[in-house]
Amino acid sequence: MKKAFVLLLATFLLLTACSSKSDNSASGGSNGDSGKAISVWAWDPNFNIAAMKLAVEAYKKTDPDQQVDVVEYAQDDIIQKLNTGLNSGTTNGLPNIVLIEDYRAQSFLKAYPDAFYDLSSLIKPEDYADYKIASSSLDGKQYGVPFDSGVAGLYVRTDYLKDAGYTTADLTNIDWGRYTEIAKDVKAKTGHDMLTQDPNDLGLIRMMIQSAGSWYTKEDGSTPDLKDNAALKDAFQTYKALMESDTVKITSDWSQFLAGFNSGDVATVPTGNWITPSVKAEASQSGKWEIVPMPKLKNTSSSVNATNIGGSSWYVLNIPGKEKAAEFLQKTMGSDVALYQDMLKNVGVIGTLKAAGEGEAYKEGDDFFGGQKTVDDFTKWTQQIPRVNYGMNTYAIEDILVSEMQNYLNGQDLDKVLADAQAQAESQLH
Amino acid sequence: MRSESAVRRRSNGALTGWMFVIVAVVLICAFYFYPMIQALLLSFKTGTGAHIHFNGVDNYKRLFTDKVFITALKNTCIFLVIQVPIMILLSIFISVLLNDSKLKFKGFFRTAIFLPSVTSLVAYSVVFKYMFGTDGLVNLALTKMHLISAPIQWITDPFWAKITIIIAITWRWTGYNMIFYLSGLQNIDSSIYEAARIDGASAFRQFRSITIPLLKPIILFTSITSTIGTLQLFDEVMNITKGGPGNATMSISQYIYNLSFKYTPDFGYAATVSYTIVILIVLLSIIQFKVAGDRK
Repeated sequence: MKKAFVLLLATFLLLTACSSKSDNSASGGSNGDSGKAISVWAWDPNFNIAAMKLAVEAYKKTDPDQQVDVVEYAQDDIIQKLNTGLNSGTTNGLPNIVLIEDYRAQSFLKAYPDAFYDLSSLIKPEDYADYKIASSSLDGKQYGVPFDSGVAGLYVRTDYLKDAGYTTADLTNIDWGRYTEIAKDVKAKTGHDMLTQDPNDLGLIRMMIQSAGSWYTKEDGSTPDLKDNAALKDAFQTYKALMESDTVKITSDWSQFLAGFNSGDVATVPTGNWITPSVKAEASQSGKWEIVPMPKLKNTSSSVNATNIGGSSWYVLNIPGKEKAAEFLQKTMGSDVALYQDMLKNVGVIGTLKAAGEGEAYKEGDDFFGGQKTVDDFTKWTQQIPRVNYGMNTYAIEDILVSEMQNYLNGQDLDKVLADAQAQAESQLH
Repeated sequence: MRSESAVRRRSNGALTGWMFVIVAVVLICAFYFYPMIQALLLSFKTGTGAHIHFNGVDNYKRLFTDKVFITALKNTCIFLVIQVPIMILLSIFISVLLNDSKLKFKGFFRTAIFLPSVTSLVAYSVVFKYMFGTDGLVNLALTKMHLISAPIQWITDPFWAKITIIIAITWRWTGYNMIFYLSGLQNIDSSIYEAARIDGASAFRQFRSITIPLLKPIILFTSITSTIGTLQLFDEVMNITKGGPGNATMSISQYIYNLSFKYTPDFGYAATVSYTIVILIVLLSIIQFKVAGDRK
């Protein structure tokens, strides 16, 4: 009997010991009270993490004793951890600062009110590119420190184009119709595909409709806008024409996408400027690439030769240590123009702080791109990107659209396809 | 007096017994039953993130109009109906071959065929993804053998993507089921086969009339566990096709993941979808018991 009691007691002790341990760890380490370490979560060691590490170095001038721990997670893991943490109501183990993709920002800000720290007093929206503000603010309050631009461009292989009888001027400020014609010509004359596409990723559609100031939802960010969305219809038609032109190399993941241009298979890469380090990774192709503005939609008058894909911003969680974390962000990513020059030179980050664009590094030519002042060009295009509200359902709607796109490619009527998508989105999104 | 102490002793014994069991009971209640009940309650709630409220059976109604869910359910059923029978037949076939007393290097073959089921789910999925890529090993081999002229779009074509998933899960789980059949076969008395041979039964007749009926409980067990496994299919689709192209390989579990983490989180509806898996497993297990189980 006594033994049984001892066993029981031991078990309870063990259980209580476990729970008290988690309490202890929460108040130390990652959660960081003021004076303790600031923890930061981000993805991509060559881009976001590298940029944040430069910011940490720069902050040492202001506060040499402040410790900042930058932790790398895959983007999917960050989303998962944030959602489970915030939803369960326990903020133990969450970081002070987190990087969130612009497409997802609104869903976090709306789904978890009070979870993020209001930075309105520290960050002035007018200091940043216009289109970054819609995603990083809510109800007039600024929650995010806008980070990389995500401005997109068309990376072209000048040598392949030359073989097919074109120059970069022939691809500058064109529309997707003309692009498709050139693609067929390039394929016929050189045997190279024009671009790669992953049928699961509608990034191209997103870029096309944003160039026309349109999105999957109306301006309120929640009403689905698919059925009578002229820009989306135009984008679908354009996409189909492109896919049926026999100039697209199909890929199914990121490494195949990289291999597509690094191995010299395709003649162009239409995507965000964050691909620059990956393009330059193949040093043997130096001098063979140039970047021109993104083509626009042919039949949509509001479409311009500038668009955006996959930018992100920094957010401060409303947990102990928030003031210090906010101050750190404000003094680095929020105002330090010299830091932005460093980030550009060392990491290739094109920031969205307007003042940074005046810096020297933003005007330099890049030998890899034949001496082209690529950043200066990107910065110019950034200013032309139409502002849209991504809302909170981009990926949910895209999963509906991606299967409707398959139906459309298989011959279903476009109006029916978009009407179906609209009906589904309306029934699923609240 | 004596009887009183006996009663006390007996009740003490029962108490001691309970003391030992209670820890396990408490842990099971805390980590199995409590979350299950919470999830059931959650399945009647709706809203995003922190804004969550009861809305009755609306989530369950929504299931019937949700095209993505219906696609996921359809895909999972296709995997179930095609893959489970193939795998079970294959593992019976292999186990009968490996049970042959004349076979040499038995241990090697058994290990080789069982080995896939101890590899990491994610690791093998990633390897499959590269093997079945457009420029992957499989297409290369088929082209070299002049079986195909253009590469097959194993991962990016809706039809072939399903086939790729089926091949992957068959590779991973056949060896696992084979082990059960092997142990079943070894429990069958060889004198039964001897008697059958004396009566002039052919090898196929022996297989049909002795092996299959005697393996029935194991066939039932493996088909139930495989059904449950397939209904919970996640790692392979997540890592090989991400549910694509165009939701063509989306499984129910992956849809639950998407609802919780890829889209704006809707944990209530995700819990509803989870409970449909529970209901499906219960229903299918009952059917399998009725069809194959012994009526005792």
